Amino acid sequence: MKAYIENTAYEFNEGETILEFVRRIEKNKNAIPTMCQDDRLENFGSCRVCSVEVAREKDGLTRIMASCHTPTPEGLYIYHNTDKMKRLRKNIVELVLTDYPTYKILPSEGKKATPFQETIAQIGIPNIRYPEGKNHFDIEPDKGHPYIKSDLSQCINCYRCVRACEEIQGEMILGMSGRGFAINIIKGFDTTFDESACVSCGACVQTCPTEALTDKFETKTLIADKTVRTTCTYCGVGCQLDVSVIDGKIRGIQAPETAEVNQGHTCLKGRFAFQFYDHPDRLREPMIKKNGKFEVVTWDEAYDFITSKLIEIKNKYGANSIGGISSSRATNEENYLMQKMIRVAVGTNNIDGCARVCHAPTAYGMQQSFGTGAATNSIEDLKQADAIFLFGANPVKGHPVTGAKIKQAFMKGVTSIVVDPIKTKLADLATYFLQIRPGTNVAILNMIAYYIIKENLVNQHFIDSYTEKYIDFKKHVETLDMSELEILTGVSKELVRKAAIAYAKADRAMEFHGLGVTEHFQGSKTVMLLSNLAMMTGNVGKNGVGLNPLRGQNNVQGAADMGVQPHQGAGYLDINDSEVQYYYAQKYGVEKMPEFEGLKIPEMLDAAIDGKLKALYIMGEDTIMTDPNTNHSIKAFKNLELIVVQELFMTATSEMADVVLPASSYFEKNGTFTNGERRVQRVNKVIEPIGNTKPDGQIIIDMMSRLGYIQPTGLTYDAAKIIEEIADVIPFMKGLTWERLGENGLQWPIKEDGTDTKMLHIDGNFKKGIGTFHHFDFEESPEIVSHGKKYPFILTTGRELEHYNSGTMTRRTDNQTILNKDVLEVYPRDAKAKGIEDNETVRVFSDRGSVNISIKYSKNVKRGVLRTTFHQPEIFINLITGSVGDKETMTPEYKVVAVDFEKIK
Amino acid sequence: MANKNIRSLSFRKELKDNLFENIANLSLKNASKEDFQELAKRFLIDDSVVVGTASFYDFTREENRNKKIHICSGTACMTAKTQDNLYKNLDNYFAKDEIGHAACVGRCHTNNAFMYNGNTYSASSPDELEQILPSPAQSRNQENDYNIGYNTTPILTSKIENITSFYSLAKNFKTNPQQVIQEVKASNLRGRGGAGFPFWFKLDAVLKEINTQKYIVCNADEGDPGAYSDMYLMEHQPHKVLFGMYVAGLTVGANTGILYIRGEYPDSIKKVNEAIIELQEKNLIGDFKFKVIPGQGSYVCGEETALLNSIEGLRPEVRVRPPYPAQYGLFGKPTVLSNVETFANIHWILENGGDAFASLGTKQSAGTKLVSLDGFFNKPGIYEIEMGTDLHTVFHEFGNGFKEDIKAFQIGGPLGGIVPIHKIGDLTLDFESLNSNGFLLGHASIVSIPSNFPMIKFLEHLMEFTADESCGKCYPCRIGSFRGMEMLQKAQNDDYKIDRILFDDLLETLEIGSLCALGGGIPLPIKNALQYFNEELQHYFTSN
Repeated sequence: MKAYIENTAYEFNEGETILEFVRRIEKNKNAIPTMCQDDRLENFGSCRVCSVEVAREKDGLTRIMASCHTPTPEGLYIYHNTDKMKRLRKNIVELVLTDYPTYKILPSEGKKATPFQETIAQIGIPNIRYPEGKNHFDIEPDKGHPYIKSDLSQCINCYRCVRACEEIQGEMILGMSGRGFAINIIKGFDTTFDESACVSCGACVQTCPTEALTDKFETKTLIADKTVRTTCTYCGVGCQLDVSVIDGKIRGIQAPETAEVNQGHTCLKGRFAFQFYDHPDRLREPMIKKNGKFEVVTWDEAYDFITSKLIEIKNKYGANSIGGISSSRATNEENYLMQKMIRVAVGTNNIDGCARVCHAPTAYGMQQSFGTGAATNSIEDLKQADAIFLFGANPVKGHPVTGAKIKQAFMKGVTSIVVDPIKTKLADLATYFLQIRPGTNVAILNMIAYYIIKENLVNQHFIDSYTEKYIDFKKHVETLDMSELEILTGVSKELVRKAAIAYAKADRAMEFHGLGVTEHFQGSKTVMLLSNLAMMTGNVGKNGVGLNPLRGQNNVQGAADMGVQPHQGAGYLDINDSEVQYYYAQKYGVEKMPEFEGLKIPEMLDAAIDGKLKALYIMGEDTIMTDPNTNHSIKAFKNLELIVVQELFMTATSEMADVVLPASSYFEKNGTFTNGERRVQRVNKVIEPIGNTKPDGQIIIDMMSRLGYIQPTGLTYDAAKIIEEIADVIPFMKGLTWERLGENGLQWPIKEDGTDTKMLHIDGNFKKGIGTFHHFDFEESPEIVSHGKKYPFILTTGRELEHYNSGTMTRRTDNQTILNKDVLEVYPRDAKAKGIEDNETVRVFSDRGSVNISIKYSKNVKRGVLRTTFHQPEIFINLITGSVGDKETMTPEYKVVAVDFEKIK
Repeated sequence: MANKNIRSLSFRKELKDNLFENIANLSLKNASKEDFQELAKRFLIDDSVVVGTASFYDFTREENRNKKIHICSGTACMTAKTQDNLYKNLDNYFAKDEIGHAACVGRCHTNNAFMYNGNTYSASSPDELEQILPSPAQSRNQENDYNIGYNTTPILTSKIENITSFYSLAKNFKTNPQQVIQEVKASNLRGRGGAGFPFWFKLDAVLKEINTQKYIVCNADEGDPGAYSDMYLMEHQPHKVLFGMYVAGLTVGANTGILYIRGEYPDSIKKVNEAIIELQEKNLIGDFKFKVIPGQGSYVCGEETALLNSIEGLRPEVRVRPPYPAQYGLFGKPTVLSNVETFANIHWILENGGDAFASLGTKQSAGTKLVSLDGFFNKPGIYEIEMGTDLHTVFHEFGNGFKEDIKAFQIGGPLGGIVPIHKIGDLTLDFESLNSNGFLLGHASIVSIPSNFPMIKFLEHLMEFTADESCGKCYPCRIGSFRGMEMLQKAQNDDYKIDRILFDDLLETLEIGSLCALGGGIPLPIKNALQYFNEELQHYFTSN
């Protein structure tokens, strides 16, 4: 297929527009000027400056076409820079400038040119010949929002913001009103950004080619000393960010359009919530608690203190009296070093991380079913899925960029099934919404399986060829009484049947799940039953299918990969196996490794209360605030002889520490994060460490050498070198190198030659050889069995878009201005029955304790169910959550807490 | 294609609970903000979508919701100079801000037109007005009478004797889509909306699409001021139109036909709805469904993609093409979209054969065309004229000459050419004759420009019309037509001459730069005027 540019023939690609074709051939993004065009948006054709002349024959009679939305036909002659087109472009710009402030035609002093200013310069500044006429210079700016501002007197009505809002974020906050010359960008019901339902993602600001929409940091016109690409720290999506630095300070963030993960998009956390990094609250000096008060000390003093105490405790009580908790916010390299320090330098397997409170059941369950505890597919597969099954997750809030993609698929009409006790935005949009009673996941999955079997929609070929133990599962499911499960789950049989049929009939059904699956008494079992559904319908091992856990923290996948768990070392090798112990000893250059499986976090806390655990070394984890049953945690901490915490800020946990070590934030160090689709991506140092802080990795290397282990990569934390070591230790990362990661990272397994893997278990080739079915009965949570009568409401906890877990970072940004409190969502009638008004503060209490919290009438919860978040320390909701956990992994059941609430007298 | 999310969400409720109708209904009853927000919530869209759509149309935008009466601002009423008088006469009945405008209500034959209380009227004197507006009682209906005639085998103007036997013709073609397409192809029927696209091609393209949901959409948004031939068909021959849509549906595999009828034709909406009920009662169309969607006052909705967006409840902004409606039409589904008159020809073609149709008219312009003559003719009305007939014949034998001195005609709507009277003898009524002489057949409406009507004012009207009706999406039309209007006004009111080079640049920018035929078409009549009435116009321009 050939077409001609200025009479020279070139191959064009199927479906390529004239604009794309010319840009590609001429290797110039500006080969043809544009204003309304953005590669990420649907072609729109409003500005017309990309018009070109085209002819059917060489130098033949030409027609004028807008190149941005005209596909290239075979044999077309394209003349894109003729005098006529130059004149047209200049005449259009002249028209635009009749309603555009003259002082904005050239870049302001000290500011970078906007894309529109660049376009004007490219086309040539026209002489404006029109007499002065009506204009829009008097539109009032809107400056009320914490991050986003508008000054529509500079708007050129290209619709890019409106389209970005709908097409990138999946919202429709920005719209256009009026018609003709009177058109005008509006927000919501023609209100302000702040008053509208804007989710502050900033997609509009980034695409706006003028300064009509800007952020408070004026990022788009910054002339930065440097712009550093790095990976966002705020969730498992792993957005790439371009961070602009001036005079050693972060001044603004944009999302690179070349990023495979986020394609120029990110959320308000990634884009705007960076101000925490030099917040006055940042810990800047090491501190030791003396007589109940923290005193600033030197690093050496702190190291000496910790070393002597650790050695003392180890000598006195043995290495197993020491435990380490690592952080899913830290880099892979740091997590690797942390587990290594605990295992090699301290000599125990008591190493665990915050996956314990989130996705440990996913890792465990999927290992049991498939052999690998990680997402089977990639997010880009969403495009190929014709059914999406979303279970216990609200990605629009927790994983906004992936959430926006899922939301758009829902809106565009993909078959969609949501199982959740909460009516989320996605539930509203879904084809089938199964609003279950919290804690009945196993029951609803058994129902779905029952109807798939009953309707004879199983993929028998897949089952026979690639799996085992299906018959046992089938027999078990067939004995179940659907009417009983209907009552239990609170979801009608008919609705479940329809959803089951829709899932099974889809060519490609893609599953996503979140903590609504894992943070349950039957969490691991739920994961295995989800695996069953995928296997029985053949939805594993091809594009657009699979089981795809939405990993919570930015590096929760990586922390587990690196061996931050008491039963598996780096690369998931079983540390109980003596050959494995030998393997690690060889790799780490030590004589022997600790022999016994270590303690999980809840076990560590219990051991502390029992007096068996004496020291905890914590890297970047606020255990007190985020673990359930706070009073229990506090009791455990009080019983310890040594608590060391590496942190950015004073937290409930670091307040209880004996030594606090100030750590550098992710802007201040190199390393890698692994996102929810197994993609290892670079974290690049943007600025020098703040104050006297050190990267966690450096602190660990320092500590290891004091404890007698010299890190072979040297005494300075060097991520690239540590990656080499990781590649040598972890079998599925053999080909990993810093250089190979490039701009978009690599998805593991990474072969020796550097090829990575977008999809696991291809064509039924399960990692563990054969996929295994498991079967389970629903079992009521002990929380309900023991306390349900006395505390008849079920509290379930979740997150909001604006905050990141315990909020240590986001609360120290303007995100706190947007959302500054946790509230308790209550079904109106439930509250009214107790005589409680909307917005009233109530006491909510459980068997563990009580907190006061203001309520919000909400029909997103069913009667008998309450929902809240855990971002604000003022509320400390974990004072009332319980100690029940997933049987297999001990992940706490945050999602089912037996509570009651009452009016405060 | 923009707005896929909103389109898809609107499709969930489709036509039964149509977003556009909902927005229109709320606007027309001046509902509260909360009601609009509730609607948005119900459709899972945000407020901005509802506000954006409501703010677009003449009848739904907030500032017009208190209007009680709409005076016709169409071209024919303007050149007839009847409306200032009407406005003055209305003073006794309405406050100034209760009087709105409607861009042509299809009474170009009598002028003095307005729309009130769900009807259109003409009233040239206070006495006549008093008959219509007997305050406070209900106004009575006034028949919309005009001459009707034909100069050949009547296809569109013939009477239907028996509805049941009329529809029974469809049975012969029910199972044979290829036969319908063959006959239509043989007939050489070209779209009657103005663009003249071969109709069989649309049927064939939609037939080839694989999709369980397809639509037939009739563009009954006859927005050209001066044209009322579609109005005639809907009010006098609705079954010819419905039959054509029904057979198109049978042919391509669509079970729904939508008629998008402009709100300025309240009687057409009534008559078509009555005809649909008649069909249902007589059970003549099986499970085929018809739906009438009333427009809310917007010329650009006559542009096919804007029309589709409008039905969907989106802002009727022109879409990019490709994809074409045949592939991605209403709600993104394959759609046969054509004009009222196109559909109305189908029955005759199938009954008499495509060849018989093709033998009428000229080689490239087969069949007949309805012509609308305005009130300057001695016998204004709708005439069915065989293509290729001399315009002189039409004007004199049918129109019976003029009541006043006429210097030019605008043929084919606001985007049609301005034809000086001395050129009429050179022209025949068909696509080619008008095209080759630098004019357009368009929808074949004829608006007379009397000798005493200043051409500069006519040009101002054209630019103002375009500026008023521009959807605002593309830059040349949105800004260019507005600046053009400003310059033409300034040249009349101030000591200002229009820079001729700038004006030519503007016309070129509109013509080659616009996204659709509105901005792209308006330079044609203006250039005609500059060519043929240079003497009259030149002193408004610089001489360069």
